[in-house]
Amino acid sequence: MRYAEPETVEEGLALLAAHDDARCLAGGASLVAMMNAGRVAPGMLVSLHRIPELSDITETGDGLWLGAMCTHRGVAAEPRLRGAMAVVRSAAGQLAHPAIRNMATLGGSVCLADPHTELPAALVAASARAEVAGPGGRRLVPVESLLVDGFRTSLQRGELVTRVFIPRGTDGAVGHHLRFSRVSSDYPTVSLSLVLVMDGDTCRQARVVVGASGPVPLHVDAADQRLVGTRLEEADVAEAGRLLVRAATPLDDVRGSAEYRRMLIPRLLGRALSQAREHAHV
Amino acid sequence: MSDKVSLSLCLNGAEHALTVAPERTLLDVLREDVRATGTRRGCDEGNCGACTVLVDGVPVLSCLTLAVRMRGRAITTVEGVQTGAELHPVQRALVRHGAVQCGFCMSGIVLTAKALLERNPSPTAEEVRQALGSNVCRCSGYARVVEAIVSLGGRP
Amino acid sequence: MSSHPKPEPVGDVVGASVPKPDAREKVTGRAVYTDDLRVPGMLHGVLLGSPHAHARILSYDTSLAKALPGVRAVLTAEDLPPVDIGAVIKDQPLLARGKVRYVGEPVAAVAAVDPTTARRALELIRVQYEVLPPVFDAEAALRPDAPVLHAPRGPGHPNAASHIRLIEGEPDGAWAKCDVIIEDVYETPAQQHIYLEPCSTLAEVDPDTGRITLHTSTQTAFRVQAITAEALAVPMSRIRVLVPRVGGAFGGKVESTNQPITAALALATGAPVKMTFSRTDDMTMMRSRHGARIHMRTGATRDGRILARQVRIYFDTGAYADDGPFVANIGSYFARGPYRIPHVDVECWCVYTNKLRAGAFRGFGNPQIHFASEVQVDRLAEALGMDPIELRLRNALETGEKWLGGAPVESGTLHACLERAREVSDWQRRRQRAPPAPGKRRGIGMAAVAHVSGLLGSSATVRINEDGSVNVSTGAVDTGQGSDTALAQVAAGALGVPLSQLHFSRPDTDTSPYDWCTGGTRTTFTVGHVITQACEQVREQLFEHASAMLQRPVQQLELRPGGHVGVRGEPGTSVSFGAISGYALYVAGGPILASARWLFPAWQLDTQRTHVEGLTSMGNGFFVFAAQVAEVEVDELTGHVEVLEAWSVHDVGRVINPAAAEGQIQGGFVQGLGYALTEELLWKEGHLLNPTMGGYKVPGALDVPRAIHSVLLEHPAGPGPFGAKGVAEVSLVGVAPAICNAIRHATGANIRRIPATGERVLRELLARETQGGH
Repeated sequence: MRYAEPETVEEGLALLAAHDDARCLAGGASLVAMMNAGRVAPGMLVSLHRIPELSDITETGDGLWLGAMCTHRGVAAEPRLRGAMAVVRSAAGQLAHPAIRNMATLGGSVCLADPHTELPAALVAASARAEVAGPGGRRLVPVESLLVDGFRTSLQRGELVTRVFIPRGTDGAVGHHLRFSRVSSDYPTVSLSLVLVMDGDTCRQARVVVGASGPVPLHVDAADQRLVGTRLEEADVAEAGRLLVRAATPLDDVRGSAEYRRMLIPRLLGRALSQAREHAHV
Repeated sequence: MSDKVSLSLCLNGAEHALTVAPERTLLDVLREDVRATGTRRGCDEGNCGACTVLVDGVPVLSCLTLAVRMRGRAITTVEGVQTGAELHPVQRALVRHGAVQCGFCMSGIVLTAKALLERNPSPTAEEVRQALGSNVCRCSGYARVVEAIVSLGGRP
Repeated sequence: MSSHPKPEPVGDVVGASVPKPDAREKVTGRAVYTDDLRVPGMLHGVLLGSPHAHARILSYDTSLAKALPGVRAVLTAEDLPPVDIGAVIKDQPLLARGKVRYVGEPVAAVAAVDPTTARRALELIRVQYEVLPPVFDAEAALRPDAPVLHAPRGPGHPNAASHIRLIEGEPDGAWAKCDVIIEDVYETPAQQHIYLEPCSTLAEVDPDTGRITLHTSTQTAFRVQAITAEALAVPMSRIRVLVPRVGGAFGGKVESTNQPITAALALATGAPVKMTFSRTDDMTMMRSRHGARIHMRTGATRDGRILARQVRIYFDTGAYADDGPFVANIGSYFARGPYRIPHVDVECWCVYTNKLRAGAFRGFGNPQIHFASEVQVDRLAEALGMDPIELRLRNALETGEKWLGGAPVESGTLHACLERAREVSDWQRRRQRAPPAPGKRRGIGMAAVAHVSGLLGSSATVRINEDGSVNVSTGAVDTGQGSDTALAQVAAGALGVPLSQLHFSRPDTDTSPYDWCTGGTRTTFTVGHVITQACEQVREQLFEHASAMLQRPVQQLELRPGGHVGVRGEPGTSVSFGAISGYALYVAGGPILASARWLFPAWQLDTQRTHVEGLTSMGNGFFVFAAQVAEVEVDELTGHVEVLEAWSVHDVGRVINPAAAEGQIQGGFVQGLGYALTEELLWKEGHLLNPTMGGYKVPGALDVPRAIHSVLLEHPAGPGPFGAKGVAEVSLVGVAPAICNAIRHATGANIRRIPATGERVLRELLARETQGGH
């Protein structure tokens, strides 16, 4: 195995272009675990930790740019992730356990595309866009369309994610992430990420995304629309939940059966919405 | 074949010149090359916390950290916590509170607690529990471990 | 047995929370565990696991693996003596011979210059299999047409590793007299030990003598010596076993782990070989707790007298018997519970299936049967409209009453435990259900607990050095629970010497006296007993010499703290151990030392009283009691259960080291909590789905109650040191039923299968809602 530590994105891209079997190493929390288990053996590792711009956090009028190498610990502690953007902060603070949050990165979470972790769902709920650098320059891709399947992204060979843009969203929006897991340090059995705008008791905007219930974060426009304009009464939540469940394709695994996950989705939706509304009032 | 990489590992304040293959984990290099065996191997997948070390003061899992990435970073392992013959207050508290049983988790817990107290000198029991979220202890039920660490901050 | 003298300890060391002497080296990282050892020329061993649950081995081709540079040995069953090992049934080869019986079963072993080369060699080994139909369920394995795992050993179903029947009274006729009958089927999981240190052995062979030295993580140096000798067909005298620090065991390291095969690799290569399991190899190749299915029916009269019980237990022992038949013995023996139930019918099967072997694990058959029994007794109380503690008090055995099979309860302190539990948990108030958090339901539940302390053989040697300091040697392994500390305190208390003047040796089969094992809640109890016996002989020798030195009769002498023999009533007249030892060494009598040995007396079941099949004696049996209480909150939306607070009340007879005892109880509670709520090996078509610590989740610091109150009662009795009784396993045994009874109190959900995962609890809640209950 060969190893390189580029100091600019361009150097990194050149290395990826020159080696067919190269893989980017971000925080290592997943990649090194897979290497230890003998599940992957990249021919070359391109470590991204010496590229300064990948750790930058920049605020603009529209939102916040988070460098791909920001750790979840850093994201969870970022006070500028307020309002709608708080869904990302909330998810990062709940991911796995502290030592993993100290190592694993935002970009790593995006590129791993593990449907069972927190960040993909939260980023989709936040309508986040990833900046992808490749041989042809840089482009912005909604995270929702970047995640094409379980553990698969639309990234092309030779591309890497440099940063993620979290839009500020509507004034008064709240973002919230709720997870349910067997024990605190586990992957979620089901997670719910949402961004909500309330006008008094009436829902003006809702964007609900379910994690760990399919190969990619589950987002159903019709479910969002079912909530908008309502007072989020039990029947509204139940109907939105039903729409989500209908579209969900969860698996049976050691964390719970597919059936249980289907049971949890509407139940956790109700709880996540009421928790988010509490946040909206403070 | 692997390319070997030469690097200087700053471990507990001392520089160690090493040549390692890039896929070698910090855990492996600490145990096999440096022979600092106080860092324990429990799962190799980041789920037990026995291999916790501090990198620039922050707890990380050495089983998921490649050694080559540690150039220019300050690594603290359990061997570097004590000053001379004097135990660190965390170590003293764990001994005094009877928190130590098989001890295999202790290196990781000592380092996690040290990092916590440096950031938050008077953690509550809940904050201690949160901080210990990565460290599995199979013997103690955590009760005395939490008690010992909380006792150092003087808060209930 | 109750006639043993119970001398009072000298000084204040017994009952003091002295810090463990090994704690310092553990918090500084200096403690040496087996994998920390390295010797020159050391090779690394790994094992190839079977990909099939049940298959015939047709052929091996190891030539490619052997040809890989750096590989020094590749072994299969063809290279090993045709010996099968097993504590009860000799059914298990070191490497699969002729057949594989579970996925992960070791089929070949490799020693190579480094772990990477060794693992690469595994991929080059070719084994041809003919797949056979497997069986994964214990009850299904007893059907006449079930696939058979082992050659039949006699009449009866070939998949039955053991079958037990115990009948007392007239169970068939008793049901008509019962006003209330509760019947259910209970299921408990294959819990795994998850000792934090995976199994590890370093084997060295002396090039001149061929003698094998094993450094290994185990609960028993002497059993490892015996099993390795048996497996390799060499005399025990040619094997030496040393035990570095042990990173937890909990029963998983009671029988052999990877010692025999590592020794075989060392013999084959002539080089030292270390084999340290990866977590996944450990989880797929070692052992688990027996999963069990228990059909139980219990009946009582309206006034709360339990009259009859019928129990049928299926213990799933996996592919090999290991300790399974012993586990089944304990499970059957405790099937009546600590209650005087006159009419009892117990049937127990220990059954082979094509899964990982099940063996010893803290509680040893008792957590399974306690789960069924204590949940059922609680439901009985509910049906009778009685307080659950009241019903238990009414039926609990007292001192002098007979256990199932006729053994007397020598120290019947369950009442005391139940009453104290009621008091410290503020039971009456909490049963009124404090308002829970929104979306939650709150409840409190309890379990009565009985277990046995002591079994098999131990010995100890105690020696007074020339300066009066003391050396104690026992062969007992401290697996982290603190027995070295407690046993040193016992010796120090027996002789009145400070701990600073006492050395407690660690086990070495070349020099230590025999100890069977650290297991069965026996070490403080059984080894402590032989230490007090050896100390008593040393005291006699000290007094004999002191009598000559002080010119006083022995009857007037006493031990004094600090290592002195004095004259009773004359504070100024004494002689130090050092002076006495010098006298003995150079003037008269010779060195002061003594050994004591003991085999815990097995109890022969009373066949006049009990109809007995398949179990004639119980090798362990000083009854110990506890009561455990848990307060929980159940999440109505997810079914998730949180244990808020817990109380564990134990009669420990005599406290040797309160901090160590309390720590062990808290740890046992949390292992029980994992058993109750999350821990379960899961298989699909014979393949383990969760052989990692990410897939198999043990409780973390955020998953445990805010407080686990351990309460130690002291009712000294029996042969243990100063009346001490064991506590190790007891602390786990009642946790699952206490938690499940709390869940039922909170929600009405009758949990019959653990772990009570969110999913299972939610389904029970929904089933109740549709039935219109609660």
